[in-house]
Amino acid sequence: MARSVALRVLQAVVIVFLVATFTFVLLHLAPGDPFAARAEASAFADTGLLEQHRRNWGLDQPLHLQYLRYLGRLARGDLGISFSERRPAWDAIRERIPNTLLLAGAALIVDFLLGIAIGVIQGIRPKSRTDDALSLVSLTLYSIPVFWLGIMLVLLFAVQLDWLPAGGATDAVAYPSLPVLGKMWDRLVHLALPAFTLGIVGAASTARYERAAMLETIGQDFIRAARAKGLDERLVVLRHALRNALLPVITLLGLSLPILLSGAVLVETVFTWPGLGRLAVESIFERDYYVVSGAAMLSAALVVMGNLAADVLYAVVDPRTRAQ
Amino acid sequence: MARLTPHDGEPMKKRIRLTVWAAAFVFTGAAGCAPDVRCPTDWCGTVVVITGAEPSTLLPPFTQFDVEIGISDLLFLKLADLGTDLNTIDPETFEPRLAASWAFEDSLTLRLDLDPAARWHDGTPVTASDVVFTFDMYRDSSIAARARSRISRIASVSARDGRSVEIRFDRAYPESFFDAVYHVRVLPKHLLDTIPRSALATHSIARRPMGNGPFRLTRWNTGELMDFAADSSFFLGRPGPRRIVWRFAGDPSAAATQVLAGEADFLNALRRDDISRVEADERVQVIPYPSVAYAYIVFNLRDPREPSQPHPIFRDRTVRRALAMAVNRSGIVRAVRGDWGNVPPGPVTRALSIWDEDLGAWPFDTTQARTLLDSAGWRDTDGNGIRDRGGQPLRFELVLPNSSNDRQRSAVIVQEQLRRVGVEMVITPLDPGTWIERSTSGQFDANFGARNQDPSPGTILEAWSSAGIGADNWAQYVNPTVDSLFRAALETYDPDAAVAAWRDAIRRINQDTPAIWMYSPVQAAAVHRRILNPSIRPDEWWATLWTWRVSPNALLARDVIN
Repeated sequence: MARSVALRVLQAVVIVFLVATFTFVLLHLAPGDPFAARAEASAFADTGLLEQHRRNWGLDQPLHLQYLRYLGRLARGDLGISFSERRPAWDAIRERIPNTLLLAGAALIVDFLLGIAIGVIQGIRPKSRTDDALSLVSLTLYSIPVFWLGIMLVLLFAVQLDWLPAGGATDAVAYPSLPVLGKMWDRLVHLALPAFTLGIVGAASTARYERAAMLETIGQDFIRAARAKGLDERLVVLRHALRNALLPVITLLGLSLPILLSGAVLVETVFTWPGLGRLAVESIFERDYYVVSGAAMLSAALVVMGNLAADVLYAVVDPRTRAQ
Repeated sequence: MARLTPHDGEPMKKRIRLTVWAAAFVFTGAAGCAPDVRCPTDWCGTVVVITGAEPSTLLPPFTQFDVEIGISDLLFLKLADLGTDLNTIDPETFEPRLAASWAFEDSLTLRLDLDPAARWHDGTPVTASDVVFTFDMYRDSSIAARARSRISRIASVSARDGRSVEIRFDRAYPESFFDAVYHVRVLPKHLLDTIPRSALATHSIARRPMGNGPFRLTRWNTGELMDFAADSSFFLGRPGPRRIVWRFAGDPSAAATQVLAGEADFLNALRRDDISRVEADERVQVIPYPSVAYAYIVFNLRDPREPSQPHPIFRDRTVRRALAMAVNRSGIVRAVRGDWGNVPPGPVTRALSIWDEDLGAWPFDTTQARTLLDSAGWRDTDGNGIRDRGGQPLRFELVLPNSSNDRQRSAVIVQEQLRRVGVEMVITPLDPGTWIERSTSGQFDANFGARNQDPSPGTILEAWSSAGIGADNWAQYVNPTVDSLFRAALETYDPDAAVAAWRDAIRRINQDTPAIWMYSPVQAAAVHRRILNPSIRPDEWWATLWTWRVSPNALLARDVIN
C-alpha cells in the first residue's frame, strides 16, 4: 500500500512537471504578451513603452533561455513574478486557495449529500412517480448552465428577496470589525449561494450514479438475507444497501474535484468570489504566464491527489481492492 | 416494493428548527445586523465603488489603465488639476492641489509654490525635492512610465528651496502648464529613493504605498476589494466620505447586479445591456457623461505583407472614401449603443472643445459609394456580387479585439453594409494581446480600434501625425499639411486660432479618409440616490469622488462602521 502511494506521488511530480512545461510553451507560443494585453485594456499602445516593459521583465530573451530560467526558479520553489499583480505568483495563488477550497468543499458537501439522498430515494423506489419526478428534476438541473443558474439565484435571493448577499466572500465593509461568530456567520451567508449553485449541478450527476448503484445493490443476495432476518427496512437500506452502493460514489469523489474546479471558474465570476478559478481565467486573458502555470500545476496536483485519495479511500472501505 | 417505514421524527424536527433559529439569532446579533444607523459623530459615510478590473500596482509611474490611475489618485495628488471647464491652456482655470500657487516667470520658466500644509501620510511635509525626484523617475526610460512622452518638452525640474519648484521647458507652448501638472503624481522621495529603480515595480511598496492624498489604503484583499480610510486632516479639506471601499467584480454584469442588490453605491460604466435594468430601479440613478474615447475602423495604408509598398486596396483615396460612404454610422450607433453613443465627426470626442458636427466626415450615400468604386475600376465582372479589378476581388480583413462586444456587433453590420456595395470584409476577432501585437506591427488590412484621449486635443497627434508612425499611427498616415496644422494648433497662444487649426487639420484628415469614425460612447454611471453631489468629470470619472457625500437621511449600517 505504502509503495503504491509513493509511486503515485512520484507520478504526480512527473505530471506536474509536464503540465508546467506544456503550459509555459503553449502560453509563450501564442501571439501577444502580458504587456500587449494590458495595452489593449488601457487603449494606449506605445511601441517604445511595450519594448521597454518586455526588456525589464526579460521577455525579450529567446524562449529556451526563458524556459531554462523558469525551470531553475521552479527547482528552488519560485514560481516567478506575476505580471498582473507585480508580486510573486505564488503569493497571488496562495491567497486564493482557501477561498477555492472552501467553495469546492462546501459544493462537494451539497453535491454528495443531495445527490446521494436523491439517488437512494430513487434506487429504493424505481419506476415510481417519485423516481420519475426526481429523474426529471436531476436531468433538468444537470442540463442547466451553471452560470445561468447562478445569475437566476442571485436575482431571486439577493436582488428580489434580499435574503442573501449577491457576491463576494465576505461583507466588504463590516467583516473586519465583526466578532468571531459574526465572521463565521458572514462567511456562511456569502458561501450559501455559490456553494449551492456549484453543488446542485454536481448533485444531479451524483444522483444518477447513486441510483444505479442502489438498484444494483438492492437486488443482491445479502440484502434479501437481511430482509429475511426481519431487519427494519430503514436499517436494510441505510446500513447494508447504502454502504455498498457508496463504493462507486467514492470513485466519483476523485473525479469531482477537477469538475468542481472548472465549474468554479464560472461560479466565481458570477458571485465575484475571489478564488483560484477567477484568478486563472483573468491571468489567461492578461497572459500572466507564471500565474497561469502555477495555477495549472496546482490544479494538476489537486486532481492527482484527489484521485489518489479516492483510491486510498476505496481500498480502506473495500477490502477486496487492497490486495490489488 | 420495499418502503422506508415512517418513524416518529416530529420532536427531532422541532429541535432542529429551534436550534437553527437560535443559531441564526445569535449569529445575527453578534454580526451586528441591526445597528443604529444614526451617525454617532459629525462625519459618517462609506461609498462602495465597484469596477471590473483590479489594479496591479498603486505607484503612479507604473499605473496604466483607468482603475489603476483612479485608485492611485485617492492616494497621490497632482501639483494642480483641471477645472470643471477642462481648459488645458489657461493656468488660471486650474485648481490647486499640492501646489498652492504658480506663475510663469518667463515663457520657458514656471515656478510652483507647494502648499505648506501638504503632508505625506506619515506626517512628513511634501517638499520640492519630492517633486524633483518624481519628475526624474517619470523621465527614467527604464521605468517606462506612460506619462513620459507627455512631459518630454520639460527640460529640467529643480528645487529653489524646500517649497518652491522651478520647471523649465525647452520651448514655449500654450499647454506647457497642463503638461507640467496634469500627468504626474508626486512621489515620496524619503521612502522610494533607497529602493533600486529596477526593483521598484515589484517592490511591496508598489502595492501598499504611502501617499499624500485624501485617503489611506487600509486593506487590500486581492480579487475582492480595497479599503480606504479618509484622512481627516487632509490639507485641502476633510473628504466627503469617511471611507471608500473599492470592490472588484471581474464581470461588468455581476458588478451591475451588486449595485442593484444594494451592495455597491457606484459603477462607473454600465454595459449597454445592463442600463435598462438599472434604470428600472428607482433607488439607483443612471448618470450619462461623455466619454474621452472614440472607436474607428482604420485602413492600413501600407501593404502588411510588403510594408515598403502601399496597400493594394487602401492606397486609393477614392476607395477609402467609398467605403466610408457605404457605412451608415448613425444607424450602427443606434443599433449597437442606442442613445448611449455619438457619431464622431473625426478623431475627436465630445469632451474636447474642438468637437464640431461639421468637420467634413463623409455622409452615408451608397449610390455615391458605388459610383466612386466604379470610377476606381472596381466592378463586379464575374457576377459573384463582389467587385474585382485585374482579377483581384475587393476583399479585405478587419481585425478587432474579441473583448469588445460593441466593436464586434458594429463590425457585423459594417460587413453587411459593405457587402451591399460589392465589398467583402472578413472579420477576424483576436484576443486582446494578439490584436495589439498585430496592430502595432502593422499586420492588418483594416483594424477596429478605440482610442482614449486626454482633455487636450494634443493626443490626436499620436495617432494621426507622421510623428506617430511606428507607435500609435496604425494607419501609417502622412500628410505634411496636417502635420503643420497640428504644430500651429499646439503653438499658438490664441485659443480661437488653435481651435481653427485643429478643425482644419481634421477636415483634411477626413478628405484623406484614413479611417471611418464609428462611435464615441456616452458612458452611463450607476449611482445610488443616497450619494449626494455625484459629479463626474469626463476625463477622470474619479476626480471628484473624494468630495461626494452620503445623505445623512439615507445612512446604512456600513456608513457608521469605521
